[in-house]
Amino acid sequence: MPRSEQPASASTPDAVLKALADPHRRQILRLVQHRELAAGQIAAQFPLTQQAISLHISVLRKAGLLAERRDGTRRLYSLRHEALDPVRSLLAEFWPDALARLKTAVERAHQTKETRQP
Amino acid sequence: MTASPTVTATTRIAAPPEAVFPYFTDPALIVTWLGDQANLDPRPGGVFAVDIGTSPARGTYLSVEPPTRVVFTWGLPGNETMPTGSTTVEVLLIPDDDGTVVSLTHHDLPAEHRPGHQEGWDTFIGALPAAVTHH
Repeated sequence: MPRSEQPASASTPDAVLKALADPHRRQILRLVQHRELAAGQIAAQFPLTQQAISLHISVLRKAGLLAERRDGTRRLYSLRHEALDPVRSLLAEFWPDALARLKTAVERAHQTKETRQP
Repeated sequence: MTASPTVTATTRIAAPPEAVFPYFTDPALIVTWLGDQANLDPRPGGVFAVDIGTSPARGTYLSVEPPTRVVFTWGLPGNETMPTGSTTVEVLLIPDDDGTVVSLTHHDLPAEHRPGHQEGWDTFIGALPAAVTHH
């Protein structure tokens, strides 16, 4: 386990997407995108129990979307902007693969057509 | 110009643009390389819908200029990172001797990490569907 307080494993696109598929969790990310907040400060913004907020924070942490820093007895949370990188990487791999399939499909069809011509 | 992240991909195909273009507009042809099922209405404002495995890509055509350029929006419904129509794919088919260079650019992607730049996330979070964020 790394000593760092960042999540141990790199976040997967699926984990990021699932974590973001909840309005409360997205609202939490908005709150901490420019500043660190303690769990209690986050909970104060929602009509939810502290326990429910803790669960949301846990999901966001596991997805790599939240960084946690200890300040005395408090734990402060902030947005990890780089957490969306895996989603972007997914597309960075997706399109070259897709175009390779396009090339194969078009060239196969085009060759067949040319072969048939007198 | 947009400051949003982009992904680009290119390939060269040994067929003229006229032979390549329908692969972006004909449902039967697009599924030979992109997805398993497609519903396409290739005119500005027309539907662009391709199911890729369990991911439905949904958007609309913005520009259809055979045989050299096609632009469509791209999103994943129910996927809050990239909602329906939230990103844009621009494809250029450039004649190259007896072939075609295909240049694809995916614009307006969710922001990557850019030190000192937080507007990407602002834009991304701000662009979430009103229907979802206001509930």
